Parts: sequence; C-alpha cells; structure tokens
Amino acid sequence: MSRNRLNEKTFQTLKQKMAEGLLPQWVVTDPEIYELELEEIFGHTWQFLAHESELKEPGSYVTRWMVNDPVLLVKTNSGELKAFLNSCTHRGSHLCTADAGNRKTFTCAYHGWSYNLEGDLIGIVAGDKVYGQEMKKDEWSLRRIPKIGIYQGMIFGNLDPKAMPLEEYLGDMKWYFDMLLGRSDGGMEVRGVPQRWVAHANWKMTSENFAADPYHVQTTHRSTVELGISPKDPLYAGYGHQVVLGHGHGINVITSATGRSAYRFQGLPESMWPMFERNLCPEQVDILSRTTVFVGGVFPNLSFVSPIHGTEGHLHNYLNFRVWRPLGPEKVEVWCWFMIDKAAPEEYKEEAYKGYIGSFGPSGTLEQDDTEIWARIVQASRGIMARDKELSYNNLCNYLMGFDRVEPDNTFPGPGIAYPTCYLDALSRSMHEYWLELLTRDLSGAE
Amino acid sequence: MNRELHCHITQFLTRETYLLDHRKYEEWLDMLADDIVYRMPMRVTKEAKDGPNLVEEMTFFEETKKSLTTRVNRLRTSSAWVDNPAPRQRHFITNILVEQGSQPNEWQVRSCFLFMRSRGSDIDVEQLFGERLDVIRNANEEWKIASRTIYPDQAVLGVMNLSMFL
Repeated sequence: MSRNRLNEKTFQTLKQKMAEGLLPQWVVTDPEIYELELEEIFGHTWQFLAHESELKEPGSYVTRWMVNDPVLLVKTNSGELKAFLNSCTHRGSHLCTADAGNRKTFTCAYHGWSYNLEGDLIGIVAGDKVYGQEMKKDEWSLRRIPKIGIYQGMIFGNLDPKAMPLEEYLGDMKWYFDMLLGRSDGGMEVRGVPQRWVAHANWKMTSENFAADPYHVQTTHRSTVELGISPKDPLYAGYGHQVVLGHGHGINVITSATGRSAYRFQGLPESMWPMFERNLCPEQVDILSRTTVFVGGVFPNLSFVSPIHGTEGHLHNYLNFRVWRPLGPEKVEVWCWFMIDKAAPEEYKEEAYKGYIGSFGPSGTLEQDDTEIWARIVQASRGIMARDKELSYNNLCNYLMGFDRVEPDNTFPGPGIAYPTCYLDALSRSMHEYWLELLTRDLSGAE
Repeated sequence: MNRELHCHITQFLTRETYLLDHRKYEEWLDMLADDIVYRMPMRVTKEAKDGPNLVEEMTFFEETKKSLTTRVNRLRTSSAWVDNPAPRQRHFITNILVEQGSQPNEWQVRSCFLFMRSRGSDIDVEQLFGERLDVIRNANEEWKIASRTIYPDQAVLGVMNLSMFL
C-alpha cells in the first residue's frame, strides 16, 4: 500500500497540526479526502437549495444539485415546499431537466411514468395492460430528500434522515440571518435566476476565502485600491469583528477604523431605517447601523456577502448568496444569487443590481481576481511535495494569524465568539476543525 | 442590403476583434457610442412550452460607457491578477447579418461569436459562444456601436470569469 493512503495516523497528524494552527496542504485536493468529504460532509450537512421567492405559485419548481444528487424542489397546491430526488423511480432517469418552470405533473421521458406535485406516481403508460399485481403504485413515489428546512426564506435540504434540525444546525447564525434577511418587511427577494459558472477551485478554499478571509481583500483586490475605489489603508477590511459560530459557521462584521461605517445602515434609504428598528432588536440595529460589509458562511458550502458597491460613483447595498457545488477536488460550479430587500424602492433595487454586476459574480471586478487566486491554489497543490503526507517538506498552510494572541471581545453585542479584528484565522480554523470532526466521526479505531 | 455596406460593417467588427484580442482597450472604447447600452443576459434551460430560454432580468454585464471605462482602467492596474500574467484570447465573429435599424443611420447587426482563451500553461481551453445583437450607428462619417446584447449559449458558463469583453 502506498505510504500516501489515508489511515488513522494521517488523521492524528492532521489533528495535531491543526491544533498548532497549521493545515497540511495535501488536504486541499486529495482525491481520497474528496471522496470522504462527499460522504461524510455533504451526505450529512444542510445544503442551501433556493430562496422562497424563487417559487412563487403552486406548481412552481426549480431543479438544483446537492453535489451529485439532482433535486427537484416544488411548491405544491397547498403552498408547501417539497424536495425530491429528481430521478424517475422506474429506471432512475433524470426526471425534470429544465432549470425552473411551472407544472402540474412531471413525466419521465423514458417510459412515461408521471408524478404529481406531491411526488405520487399517478400515471403508468399502459399500466393495466402490462403490470398486474406486481405493481403497487403507492410504493413508487418520488424519493423525498430526507430532510428539508426553511429559515428566513432560505430553503435547505439534508440527505441524512437523522440530521439535527436546521435551526439547531444554524445555531447562532440565525441571529445574524435575522438581521440580514429579516430586517425588512417581506424579507428579501431573488432577482431573476442564479448566475452559474465553473471555477478551477476546491470548495474548502472558496468557502474559506469568502466566509473567513477579509485579509485577502487588500492584495487580491488591490486593483480597486489602485483605481481609488477601495481605501488605501491596508487594514481597511480588518476593522470590526470576526465572529466564530458553531458547526463551522461564522461572519465578519467589517466596520471602519472608528468602529462606525461612513454609510449608516449600509447606505440603505433613510425611509427604511424605522422599519429596521421595528423588525430588529436593539443589538441588531446597532450592528447593522455601523457595519460597512458583512461577509460569512454556513458550513459546508454556502457563503454570503452584504457589501456596498457601485460602478457609477454612488454606492448601494445588496445581499449575495452563493453555493460552491463541488464538481471534483479541483472544480466548483458557482451558483450566485442576487438578493435585495423586497421593501426597498424599485429605483434602489435597480442601482443595487448594477452595483452587484460590477463587483461580484463572474464579471465582477472584485470576483474576477478571486477566481484567478483559487485556480493558483489548486494548480500548486497537486504535486508530490505539496501532497506529501509524511510532512517531510513541512508542507503546511499557515493559519497562525492571531493564534493564541487575539482574545475575544466580550462587549460585542451579538452572539458567538467575537474577536476584535477581521484579520484573523480563527474562523478558518473553526471551519477546518468542524470539517475534520465530520470526516473522522466514523473512523474511531478504524485503520 | 448593399454589398458595400455589409463589407463596411464586417470590416468594422473585424477591426474590433483585432483591438480586443490585442488588448487595445482604449481604442476599443473609442468604437463605442457615448450612450452605449452593453448587456449580457443569461441563458437558462427551459421546457419548450415555457418560451424563450433567455433571462433578461439577471445578466452577466449591465454596462454603460462609464462602467466599461472603469473595467478597462482596472485591467490597466498592476494588480488585475486575471490579466497579470495575461491569458491569450481570440474572438471569432461569423454569420454577420445586417438589417436596417430603427433610425435611418442605424443598422441592426447579428453575429455569432466564439471566444477562446488560454491561461498560463493550462492545456484545457476556456471557451464561450453565442450570439450578439448590435446596433451600429453612422454619425458624422464615423461608425460606432450604439448597443450590444450578448446572448451566451451556455447556461453554466465554462469560463472561470468574465474579465474579457465580448
């Protein structure tokens, strides 16, 4: 057996290195780790599927993916949301191949079996003539995604029937979701459909880059500093708090050197401020009013950013959610949703959308350079030296920023462990610790 | 449509391609009208009964001359990493169809595009293809692109970013 295969010792070394703030580089794109991640992480954690505003009428549906599991998410006649494996129960053919639409029934193109919005098998071509007692129709309904959960309009699915409830999984992230998604009457709405493209990247690094790493902003996005769009102070993305939450989740609350944003309530129209004060608790109002950028994530592969941006000289706020769908150890399909307060003035929504197109998504002047960096990580992580599990080349990634030095700030008004800077690896370390916990859950004593 | 006009517009688009492939972006900006509307709507996969499979509501580009100029200026910084080191790029424009536009001095021009890009030492080639719908205007003896709508054929773009212009 190759000395490079995974074994218990490998995981012990990993754990020991991670306790020292170091992550061996071989884990980034290791194919065996990847297979294990699909089973142990994506098979058990809550994954984002859609926002409620994408499914307006009974019969509305969207098709999504939980890594390699095709998902059909429908709104039934009673207005309930149901999620099924998007695969015919007869021969397993991919049932609905459109991205979205509205239907009363779904019919398989292979032999014509059809299902209603409840997933019941309601039609079998020539059923009476070709099947006898062997066919019990009610045993061949579409397979339900074992668990579905909704929080503040965000619809998640889980492939593990024994998974903890969504609300328990989100934990303290709910408080921050309430602030971002529940600040306005009517919540948020998705504009159009999610943008989709493929990046050369590993899902762990994109998740970490977005959720946990304001430190990269000053260098990766330096072009915007050169243009005069971003501040010159190299610490600008570090002011504020990095908040570590349970289950690998977290958020960066980026303010400014003074602790207050130059744009109160992220520059949202003043007419909306009383609404925020009505919908939120005083601590949430305080944080929302003085923050410039929120950026964070829900483990494993949902990230979000709520910045202020614009391409025409004036700045607007929006909320961008994204899913990093793994397509392999070195590839992710990025799904990117533009969301905006339903209650915002139409003119503001339009400007915010333009601000989004100019900054994030595949054409965004910020995100373009992120994609380049992600590719540079995977292309340098597949060699013998980078992947040496014996660590004889000291092939370790450095997660030492603030390690053992930066103490939590107990005066921060929100839940979670809040550190008084966003230039910190605390959240990245917490994500990787939860990652390892899930990977090794079933491995105790295994060789 | 007379042959001379078609030839003129084809030449104009070929010159544009040359400028883009050689990153002569400032000269490219000069080919755009000051009031240009430059958009790239999205393609989705829809059932036949649901009509056109284009989404106009969400786009990949929603640009004005000012925002396009900002994008060009960004590419001129020393830290636009996608273009530093720069990938090699080619735009292939074909199937040019010219029709009279809504104004006497404007022509509606449809074309197909194939964009190919080679990054670093990657063997895999990035590509993007689809259709463009332009309005090309002749004002004061000068040709300008008055509007451009780019319709990609891929619902999931096979390029890692859209740092290029199409």
